[in-house]
Parts: sequence; C-alpha cells; structure tokens
Amino acid sequence: MKQYDAIVIGGGHNGLVTAAYLARAGKSVLVLERRPRVGGAAVTEEIFPGFKFTMFSYVVSLLRPEIIRDLDLPRHGLHILPLESTVTPMENGDYLAGWADHDETRRELYRHSPRDAEAYDEYGRLMHFMAQAVKPILGMVPPDPTSFAPGDLAGLLKLGKHFRGLGAERLHALVKLMTMSSADFLDEWFETDVLKATKSASGIIGTFLGPRSPGTAYVLLHHYMGELDGVFRAWGFAKGGTGAVSEAIASAARSFGAEIRCDAGVSKVLVRTGRATGVVLENGDELPAGIVVSSLDPRRTFLQLLEPEHLPSHLVADIKRFKFRGSSGKVNLALDALPSFTCMPGVGRQHRGAISISPSLDYVERAYDDAKYGEFSRRPYMDIVFPSMIDPGMAPPGKHVMSIFVQYAPYNLNGGWTDAKREAFGDAVVNTVESFAPGFKSQILHRQVITPLDIERITGLSEGNIFAGELALHQLFFLRPAPGWAKFATPVRGFFQCGSGTHPGGGIMGASGRLAAMRILKDGK
Amino acid sequence: MSYDALVIGAGANGLVTAHYLARAGKHVLVVEQRHAADPSADIGWVPDVVIRDLGLARAGLRIEQPDPWITVPLAGGRGGGGTLELSRDIGRSVEAIRHISPSDAAKWPEFCNRMRTLAGVLERLYLVPPPDIESTDARELARIAGLGLYVRRRGKQTVIDLARILPMSITELLDDWFESDVLKGLLGALGIWHLKQGPRAGGTAFNFLHHHAGSPAGVFRPPRSNVTQALSALPGVEVRHGERANVLAPNGRATGVVLEKSGEEILAPLVVSSADPRSTLQPVAIELDPEFGRAVDNIKARGVVARGTLTLESTPAYSTLCIAPSLDYLEHAYDDAKYGRDSATPYVEVQKTDGRLELHVQYVPYTDGAANVQRHQALQLRVAQVLGAQPSQVKLHSPDEEELQHGSTEGHLYHGELTLDQILFMRPVPGWSRYRTPIEGLYLCGSGTHPGGGIPGAAGRNAAREML
Repeated sequence: MKQYDAIVIGGGHNGLVTAAYLARAGKSVLVLERRPRVGGAAVTEEIFPGFKFTMFSYVVSLLRPEIIRDLDLPRHGLHILPLESTVTPMENGDYLAGWADHDETRRELYRHSPRDAEAYDEYGRLMHFMAQAVKPILGMVPPDPTSFAPGDLAGLLKLGKHFRGLGAERLHALVKLMTMSSADFLDEWFETDVLKATKSASGIIGTFLGPRSPGTAYVLLHHYMGELDGVFRAWGFAKGGTGAVSEAIASAARSFGAEIRCDAGVSKVLVRTGRATGVVLENGDELPAGIVVSSLDPRRTFLQLLEPEHLPSHLVADIKRFKFRGSSGKVNLALDALPSFTCMPGVGRQHRGAISISPSLDYVERAYDDAKYGEFSRRPYMDIVFPSMIDPGMAPPGKHVMSIFVQYAPYNLNGGWTDAKREAFGDAVVNTVESFAPGFKSQILHRQVITPLDIERITGLSEGNIFAGELALHQLFFLRPAPGWAKFATPVRGFFQCGSGTHPGGGIMGASGRLAAMRILKDGK
Repeated sequence: MSYDALVIGAGANGLVTAHYLARAGKHVLVVEQRHAADPSADIGWVPDVVIRDLGLARAGLRIEQPDPWITVPLAGGRGGGGTLELSRDIGRSVEAIRHISPSDAAKWPEFCNRMRTLAGVLERLYLVPPPDIESTDARELARIAGLGLYVRRRGKQTVIDLARILPMSITELLDDWFESDVLKGLLGALGIWHLKQGPRAGGTAFNFLHHHAGSPAGVFRPPRSNVTQALSALPGVEVRHGERANVLAPNGRATGVVLEKSGEEILAPLVVSSADPRSTLQPVAIELDPEFGRAVDNIKARGVVARGTLTLESTPAYSTLCIAPSLDYLEHAYDDAKYGRDSATPYVEVQKTDGRLELHVQYVPYTDGAANVQRHQALQLRVAQVLGAQPSQVKLHSPDEEELQHGSTEGHLYHGELTLDQILFMRPVPGWSRYRTPIEGLYLCGSGTHPGGGIPGAAGRNAAREML
C-alpha cells in the first residue's frame, strides 16, 4: 500500500488549498472527500435537468489573491465575473441602488440623502483602509498571549507595533469595528435607514446575531476584505459557479501531484502513542500517512475523528463550547422568466447584480427576533442573485436560475426541522419575494429549499454553520477554535487542522488552508 | 470672590474631584443644579482609597452590603413557589441553589472565584487613568507593560478568560456554566444594567463584571451607600445649590462658568464638569473641532432605566427583590425597547436602603425627551402588576423625565453606556480619555469618563489626580 506523506481529510476549498501547497512543496498528498465531488460547501450541481446551482455558497470575494497567484488558478479555469450592482427594493415601492459606476451611486444616494452621499466616500475610504490594516493579521499565525515562548512574544510585539502604526484615528475605528453592532457603527455615518439596513446585512451573514447586536460590525469588515484587490466591489461570481473555484484548486493540486479520492469518508484518525499514523475510512480501510490534516470543522475534527482520551479534557470542553448555531438557509429556484420588481419593473441590469431584501433596519432586526426564539423569519433577509444572467451556461436558453441566500433559519428550530417545516420556510421566502415582485411565484419551475440541517447533512458543517463556527469576537484569532490550539496543530502530533474553523476562517477565502500548509511545512514533519 | 477651580455638579464624582483639589490647596466652588441633595442611595463600589484619602468614614459614610444580597420569587404564584435567596457565604448559596439545580450548585463556588479574579483585574484598571495605547512615552509604555504583566501573573486561565469573556454576551457566559433559568435570570440582569442591549448582546458579560467590581466573591449586586451625602458633609469645599451652570470658553479656553438663571459669570482658571460629556461639551466644543464634535455627538447614552421608589405599608424582609425570571424574559423585555416601546414585562428590581425601597425598571427607553402622562401611567401599572402592588405605591422617573428635569443627556445615569467601544481609552470619546478636552482648562470628571458609572468617586479621583 502506498504510504503518503500527508492525508488531507475533506475536499472543501481549504482542504484543497492545503493539499495543493503541500504537494507544491514536494510532499505526496492524498485528499479524501466523503461526497462524490470535491468542493464541500462550494459546489455546483445540476439539481434539475439543465439548471445548475451553486448549492450553498454563491459569491466569491474573499479568495486570497496570493493563493490565486501561487496556485495559478486562472490557468486551472478560475474566471471571476463581476457582480454589477446591489438593488434594495423598499416597502413603499422606492428602491436604493448601488451601481458599478461610482458617480451614479452617489447620485442615487443623493436622492435619498445629500448628507449620506457626502459621507459615503469617506466611509468607503475608511473601510478600505481598515480592511488593508487587518489584512496582515489574516495572513499571520496567531500568537498565544498566554505563552512566554520567544516566538509568541515576538508575535505579540509585532501585533502591537502594527496596531500602533495605524495611527490614533484608525486604531479607534478598529476598536469600534471589533466591538460595535453594525447598526450602531453605521449610525455614526449615515441617516438613510435603507442604506444602513443594506450595509448592515453583510454584518449578520452567517451569524446568529441581528444588526443591532454588538460584534456584527466585525463581520461587516470581514466582508469588506473582498473589496481589496480588485479596486471596488471585487464581489464576484465564478464562471460555472463556486464549484468551479473548487475544481480549479483541485486541478492545481493535481498538477502538483496530489491525489484526490471522492466517495471516501474518513471515520477516524489513527493515533499511536500520541502520534497520528493515518486514517480509517468509513468502509474500514486503513490508510497510513506521516501527517494527517483535517479540514472539517472543529467539532468534527476533535470530537469525531479523535477519541476523547487523545485530548486534554479542557480542550474537549472548549470545543464543546465552540458556537456553531447555523442561521442561514438557501432557496434555489429554476425560473421560466425573470421576476419583475415593483420598484424597478421589467428586466434590466438590476438582474445582473444582487437584489437585497433588507428594506429597513427594523425589518432585518425583526427577522432576527423570530430566530432568537427558535422560529425561522416570517419575512427574512435575503440576498438574491441570478447566476444565469452572469453566466448563461447555468440554465437552458431563455430560462434562469435564482439563488436566494436566506436569513434567519435557525438550526435549532422549535420542534425540529421536518419536511413540512422546510416547505413552510420555502413558502415564507417565496411569498416575501412575491410581495416585492408580484407574479413571481408563477414563474417558478422548480424549487430546492435548504435548511441548516440540510447543510449539515450534506456538507458535514456542524449545525449548518457556513463559517464552520461563528465569527464572534471570542471565537477569532488566538481563540479560534480554542485557546492554545489556534496555530493549526493539535495535541496529537502529526495531526493538523486547516478548515474555516481555524484562524481567520469564513467565506471562500482559503487563508486557513494556506496558513496551515505553511505551518506544516515549517514544522518539517 | 475668586476661585482656583469650579466644579459643575455635586454628585459623588464632582464632590470627590472638588475635595481632592481642595486638599491640594485650591479654592474650589461646586455648582449644583438641584436645590436639595438627591435622597436616593448611591449604588456601586466606593473605592477604599477614596474613603481613606478623604476621611469619609468620619463624615458618616455608611456602606450597605446586604446579606442575603438577593431574593427571587420562584414560579408558582406570588410567594407560593417559595424564594431563592443568595448569601455572601458561598456555602449557604450552594445549599440554596441545590434546591433548584444540584448541577448549578456544584459549579457555584468555581464560578464565583473565576468572576472574582476577573473583576479584580478590572478594579486595578479602574483606579488609574486608562492606558494610553498611542503613547510613545517610556513611562506610559512601562505602565502598560506592567498592567500586562499583572494580568499574566494571575495565570493562563485569567488571560484566556479576559479575552474570551469580555466580548461575550452574558447569555453565552451563563449558558457555559448553569442550567437554571432563575439563577441565570438574576445574574443576567446585572449584565444589562443601563445598557440598551439585551442579554444576548456581546459585551454584556463585561458589563456584568464591571458591576461585580468591588464586591466579594459570590455577591453579584454592588453595595449601596450614602457616599454623596457623606461627601456633602465634608468641610473644605463651597457648594452652591439650585444653579445650572454652563462652561464659558471664549477662544477655546475655559475661563469660568455662567449661571443659567441669573446670567452671573463666575471666573476660574480651571473648570471641571461632572455633568455628562454631551451636555457639557456640545454647546462649546462643536465649532472648535468638528471631528471632536462628531465624536461627542456619537456618544451612546441611550437611557433605558426608570428609577423611582416603592411605598409599602410594612417594610419587607428582603434587601433586594429581583424580578427577572429568565434570560429570555430579559431578552423579550429588550425586544420592546429596540422598537422604542417600554417593556411589556419589564425587569424590575427593588433595592432596600436605609428602609427606603428604590426601584430599577428596565427597559424604559428614552424617546423624545417629552413627558407623556399616558405612557407614564401605563408603565406604573405594569410595574405594580409585576410587583403585586398598587399603582399608587409606585413612583417612577423615566429617562425622558430625567432629562427634562436634570438635563442629563437622554436620561442616562452613567452618562454613556458601558459598551466595549465606550470604555477605557475610548471613554468618553476616543483619544480624549484622560479627563482633558480640546478646550484648555476644561476637564471632565463624571461617569461619562473612565471608569464609568456605578463606581462613585473613581472617575472623580482619577480626574483630580490628572489635573494635579
């Protein structure tokens, strides 16, 4: 039997990135994926004949540019198409739009509030700068502040210097972003409610928080990282869907010599005398390897792949405490024709961008109130895109696919999720869209409703959390996933973590996978 | 008559500053808008160093640390389900908690110790000016390093707890430890004190620890005292009552105050305000520096607490009665406030001090600064229902009424919410945490400055030391 240098468990984008970097450094690498295809939560599937869907995650913005460069992803088929705009229909029939053209966006804002139009550029500059300021931290292995090791002290010192180098004003802005709610933070800048609602929505994505909950301003910033390297609005859509991103990384990994085996779920990591020696597959086969890397979320990595006796009890307690609380669902629709929105009738450029159903802060906050007490939102926040408008290959000619990201759908629904509840949730989504686009329901050919429970069942993400663990302040940096174990290592020698549940985590970013690979290569073994 | 220093406001912090200045040989006048001293108790930890420095024990200071420190009615009708009473003695509390949850009882001692250690770190931070993280001064850097080292010496667990717990919500913190709704409700209530946030909001765990500072392990309600009264009795400082004073600051330099009623100007080279930063600074600082002005406008001081008194025919046996049966109860109470309504089922606490029964009712959000008779009566009725009393026995001041009568911005008792973005070097506004303002000669010394409300005298002492 072939002995691999490294086995990577899970063929999601982070697992693939780790595998690619390890293979590039000359290691023999095997990736084991439980499903029939790679990608994890970044997959494109033809769910209804002729209609292809990005089942779960649907936009690409955060993928680290150094990964695109190092792995030469465009050569492996990565092609990102820009999302042109964001239109928010309002309940009074008006709308708020942000267009690709900066001046046009300003004019549109001016229509709502001259003051906000003035503040918009300054706000954009600040967020752009803050994202730049945080960027080096995303590319850094978090130092452990409880350790007196020289490496950790040097790391802390470097961090301190970096923050002080920002200057007072920006340092204060950073503290605010780390601690405030997105609603409060935006209140300091803008007065137009629908603008604040639409902006704050990116602060709640993937969290079990409302726009008025502290901590959401950080998620707001996290989503701004995407607007870095491609000037403004690097929010984009991968040609062929997000599955194409996974395929590109997989192709790059293979080109460096990595092997990828699908339909090969791993049940356990083999541990002998405190050292990982390989894995056991679900079918009972044992595969030996010098290094084992898990891209699964922390709960599965520590509590499922290992036995409790391999871990110190406080780590088991920390991981059990790690919060997942999936809160988002997805509705994928095959459409006969594009919906016409009351605020902007007909078919037009609005369909080439995102439609944000976030008409007011109170609307989004109320959506959260439902979830807080264990119900799905009766009128949810939604982020809608029409991938077939950007990439015609996604649907048969003349037909369309519509991807609706929905919040909130709590994993722990009162009474639990059932088929009937899933359909009721789908109805709530469709009916809410209908209220902004009358006649829309009659255009639906097929409907797929995905709850957090479905996300968990299909992708393995615990509680269906799309970030493999909430991006809450107390679950970031040296606390992600647990204090003392944020540097990709585990208490089992030769067993590493590389998924989104490690620093910096979240989104199709790949940073965790890359940092983990660097760490493994540096360790030599 | 000439003064070396004028202090606006004769609350605990204003008086503490005035007395420290007076002790340093300054001739000080305090101007207070109220005609008579506020009879309500001071709630919060009075630092020992203030008591010692100013000789407050001899001036009649009484600090009440009731034992048992809290009484909570258990479900099963009024009194029918018995009560949960928690004591200073951890062992007795364990016994009491055992009746509702053996598992929670087992965790109580460890929880109390962990929280005490963290509150101890806060206490140390609170008795000195906040660390100036922008400073390049070697002494300040050494001081920050010293604080860091102090924390590290408390052990690994303390460093992790601080980083993990401070940004958490009180709900998450309590869910980590306990299962009993009753226990989590009474503890969680302390985490939302004077915040327009619910128990699920990040930072409420910090607010909980803030209010634990100064209390012994196992006691999660701050002591109550007559510190303002004791300070008023101290000789050495002149106080003028019944005058609302505004800062005089021509050409960006404070020269004194002007009294609102008579227009009389009183001059002094040093002006210190213990009033809230927004009402102090908005009239004078806005044109001076637009950035600073914007920061002052952005101070969040959204009053959410109605305070008042309860009059009963006979004095009840409890020292503190808490109606906050669960974290969800508190969260529901907050939901109303989010949309600008008074809580349909508010969190109500009755605090007995010197025989007086004082009320803390949350959430009663500040709305428009106007008195609204209908709203007032509806609230009175609700609080009476919650307590099983007659509406006529309940007297309340909403934040709107508080602002109308005393001018404190949005009726916020702490002059600014204790959220993570408004503490330490961010309080009262980022970069101006050392009690100074862009107006030369004008200082702040009230709850709006570090370390904030609920610690009477700490800000006043820190401010006076900065001035001297």
